[in-house]
Amino acid sequence: MSWRRLLGVLAVAALLAGAGTGLLRSSAPDPDTDPVRTIAAGLRCPACQGESVADSQSPIAAAMRQAVADQLARGRSPAEIRRWFVERYGDEVLADPPARGLPLLLWAVPALALLGAGAAAVRTLRPPRRRASAAAAVGSAPAGVAARRVWWLSCAAVVALVAAVAVVAGRLEDAQPQAPPADPVAVTLQLARELEQQQRYDAAAELYRDALRELPDDGVQLRLAFALLRAGDAAGAERTAREVLTRSPDSPDGLLVLGLAQRSTRPEEAPQTLRRFLTVAPRHPAAEEISRLVDG
Amino acid sequence: MTTRRLPAARATVLLLVVAVAAVLAAGLHGGPASTTGAAGDPIPAPALHGTTLDGGRFDLAEARGQVVVVNVFASWCGPCRDELPLLDDIARRWSPYGLRVVGLNLRDGPEAVRALLSETGTTGLTVLPDPDGTQAVRWGVRGVPETFVVDRDGRIVARRPGVVTQEWLDQRVTPLLRAA
Repeated sequence: MSWRRLLGVLAVAALLAGAGTGLLRSSAPDPDTDPVRTIAAGLRCPACQGESVADSQSPIAAAMRQAVADQLARGRSPAEIRRWFVERYGDEVLADPPARGLPLLLWAVPALALLGAGAAAVRTLRPPRRRASAAAAVGSAPAGVAARRVWWLSCAAVVALVAAVAVVAGRLEDAQPQAPPADPVAVTLQLARELEQQQRYDAAAELYRDALRELPDDGVQLRLAFALLRAGDAAGAERTAREVLTRSPDSPDGLLVLGLAQRSTRPEEAPQTLRRFLTVAPRHPAAEEISRLVDG
Repeated sequence: MTTRRLPAARATVLLLVVAVAAVLAAGLHGGPASTTGAAGDPIPAPALHGTTLDGGRFDLAEARGQVVVVNVFASWCGPCRDELPLLDDIARRWSPYGLRVVGLNLRDGPEAVRALLSETGTTGLTVLPDPDGTQAVRWGVRGVPETFVVDRDGRIVARRPGVVTQEWLDQRVTPLLRAA
C-alpha cells in the first residue's frame, strides 16, 4: 500500500470515528436533563426561524416553556404535552414532525432522482472501454459524442425546469384569492340600511360616512343626507344635499332632501326648492306627498 | 452499446424530471397556504378569563351571544401600537351591535400597558393581562400582534397574524354583527 493511499485510509477512518462519536453523544439521553428543557427542545418556536422553544429568547417561546412546566406540574406525560401543542399549533410545532404524505414524497423523489440520474450518467459518460473502441474505432465515437451532448442538454433542461417551476409556482400562489370576495363597502351599506329600518338613524349616518370615505358616490351621499334628516340633523342634511346638487343640480333626491331640510333651517326657501323637485321629478314616489305639503 | 441504452436513459430522465417538477410545484403550492393560519372550519374558542387591567372581571364564556374580537398585543411590540386606535374605534362604534373587543396583553407589566393605552388614546379598551403568556399559548398564538374573531356561538371564525386593517375587520366582523 503506497503512503498516499495509507494517508487517505487514515483520514477516512478518523472522520468516521469522529462522526460516530458525535452521533452517539447527541443521541444518548442525558439522565440529568431538566424535563421542561427536554420537551421544549422537541418543539419548534413558531415565532422564529429554525430555533427550538428551549433555545429561543422570544416571548412566545418563553410562554410555551411556562406552559410545558405548568402541564408537567399537573402530572401530564411528555407525549400528552406534545399532543396538546400539536392541537394548537399543528404538526409543524414538532421539531421532528412525522413525515407522511406529500412531505415524505418531497424527501423521497429527489433522492431517487439523484440516484437514478447519477447511475445513468455514469453509464453514459464514462470513457468507452478499450475493447469496444477497438472493435468499432470509427463508428462509436460520434455516437458517444452525441450521447454526451444529449446528457448536457438534459441537465440544462432539468435546471431550467426547476427554476421555472420555482418562479411560476410563486406567482400562482400570489394569484390565489386571499380572502372570500366580500365587498366591505357593500357590507357597510347593507348594515347601514338595516340600521335605518330599525330607525337608528345616527348609527346609520355614521356607517354611510364610513362607506363614503371608501367610495365617494352621490347615491351614498344622498342616503347619508336622508339619514341625517331623519336623525334630526337638518343642517347636516342640507349641507350634504347641497354638495350633491353642486355636482348634479337636477338630482331629484338632492332637491327633496334639501327642501325637507330647509323646512327646519330656512323655511322661507323650502317651498321653492320642493316645487323645483316636483318640476324635475313629477312621478317620484314622494311627489304626491310633497305637493300636498307645498300646497297645504 | 451506447446508442441502444440512450432511449431508456432519456425516458428515465424525462420521468424523473416530471416527477420532481410535480412534487416541487405541489410543495411550493401547498407549503405557504398551511402556514397562513387562516381560519378553516370554525373551532370552539379556548377558555379566556381573568382580572382585567382596571380590576374588573372578564370571562369569554359569559360573552356568549356577542361577537368578540381578541387582540393579542404587548407594549414592547411596535405594530401593536399602530393598530390599537383602530380596535378601540370599532369597540366604541360597533358595541351597540353586539361587539366586544378584548386585548390579551402578552408578557407585559401593568405600568407599561397603561402608558401605551394612554399614549395611543385607547384607555377605554378592555385589557386582560397575561403575564406568563400561557393564555396566549392556549390560543395557539404565534406572535404579536395576532387577532381572533369569535362568533356569537363561541367559535373562532377568523384569525389574523400581524396587524389588522379596517378592511379585514369589515370583511370578518361586520357580517357577524349583521346576523344579529
